[in-house]
Amino acid sequence: MTWKRVCSAGDIEPGRLAPFVVDGITVIVANLGDDGFSVFPPSCPHMEEPLDQSGICAGLILTCSKHLHQWNMRTGEPTGPEENDRELLRYESRVEGGELLARIDGELVYEHEDDEDDDFEW
Amino acid sequence: MCQGVALGDCEVLVPSRIDGVSDTAREPQYLTGDLSEIRPLTRDVDTFSIDLDRPVTFDSGQFVVLAVPGLNGYRAYSMVNGAAETSRLDFVVKRTPGGGFSEWLGVDRAGTTLDVFGPLGRATWRPEEEKDLVCIAGGSGIAGMMSIVSHALSSGHFERHRGDVFFGVRTREDVFFADELARLVDAAGGGLSVTVAYSEESSTVRDPDVPGGIRAAHGFVHLVAGERMAGAWGNRTAFVAGPPPMVDGALRMLIAEARLPASDIRYDKFT
Ligand SMILES: Cc1cc2nc3c(=O)[nH]c(=O)nc-3n(C[C@H](O)[C@H](O)[C@H](O)COP(=O)(O)OP(=O)(O)OC[C@H]3O[C@@H](n4cnc5c(N)ncnc54)[C@H](O)[C@@H]3O)c2cc1C
Ligand code: FES
Repeated sequence: MTWKRVCSAGDIEPGRLAPFVVDGITVIVANLGDDGFSVFPPSCPHMEEPLDQSGICAGLILTCSKHLHQWNMRTGEPTGPEENDRELLRYESRVEGGELLARIDGELVYEHEDDEDDDFEW
Repeated sequence: MCQGVALGDCEVLVPSRIDGVSDTAREPQYLTGDLSEIRPLTRDVDTFSIDLDRPVTFDSGQFVVLAVPGLNGYRAYSMVNGAAETSRLDFVVKRTPGGGFSEWLGVDRAGTTLDVFGPLGRATWRPEEEKDLVCIAGGSGIAGMMSIVSHALSSGHFERHRGDVFFGVRTREDVFFADELARLVDAAGGGLSVTVAYSEESSTVRDPDVPGGIRAAHGFVHLVAGERMAGAWGNRTAFVAGPPPMVDGALRMLIAEARLPASDIRYDKFT
């Protein structure tokens, strides 16, 4: 339950995203303009593409340029035309005194298909 | 493009939906074909054809993969021809320094028999799609755009819809297909524009070497397309092909600036 400083709110322009390392954990911060910030893990939920390179922000929607999968950065919900049932994991975040804080208790990671105990349905 | 080869028995886990090929005529097939019509177009771009052992049917914008005797791995090349049932496929290839296929190819290779697998690829267009088109191509990425635009022309698409092609090359010397593009513009009767974007030329003056009807611009092709198309993005399908950095730049522009829905963007990265 620890809130940690990620960056200053002014470090990223609205409509942009950038990676930051907080206590050894890399996160991506997206500035959603009037909708605040979204803080999420650095690899694409789909196939682990590095989102600091492949991530494109348009309003609340994050698009990964690898296969054009899309997510709502506020809710984490998948959206867009590609079949995609993976949520975008997010760290809770808030701005206090011009600083962006996120609740980072441990690294959020996706279970990809090569994991042992996947729940893939045939 | 994935070139993984299984070294033994394996189980394959397919993590996403497989789009069945709805039309069995378009199922990819193992074919063979003979190289023909090999000709240089610019200092580092060649055109070549393959005469297949039997006809194939493909959608405009698709590609095949080719294997040359003695060279490991397949290489992907997009058809230049408009979609049809055909036994001859036309291609363009940009020479990559040290490239196994692109440097091997030369006029004296005519008659060599290659293994061909295809057609493949989802960055395709069909005449029943009632939208304007925008094509953004870097270098040999123009191949699939020629296929799409000629098919759109022959199916009467430009009588009802617009098409705008942006073709990025480094300098004036690197332009090819200028006559073919000019013919398409002419035949489309106002429905089609072609803009050649020079990334390394210093002036934006009209290029006397580009025949009438083709516009010239200075800058990276995706930026030129973004500027020239401002305000005209409604009801568009966008096609993008070329080297990965150019494709990434174009996707960024189409999503973040043009705000096209992802369902209206189709692309091939020439990796
Ligand atoms: C969908 C798609 C469409 C394309 N269309 C065109 C086109 O129309 N025109 C064009 O000029 N280029 C096109 N390309 C690029 C083209 O496929 C080649 O990568 C390029 O021509 C360079 O090939 P090369 O043999 O000269 O170079 P190389 O450097 O020898 O090889 C390039 C690629 O071939 C594969 N490869 C190399 N060695 C091996 C090996 N031992 N085993 C397995 N794979 C290997 C790798 O993917 C490598 O990146 C396309 C690429 C893709 C993915
Ligand atoms: S890896 Fe990001 S969309 Fe596929």
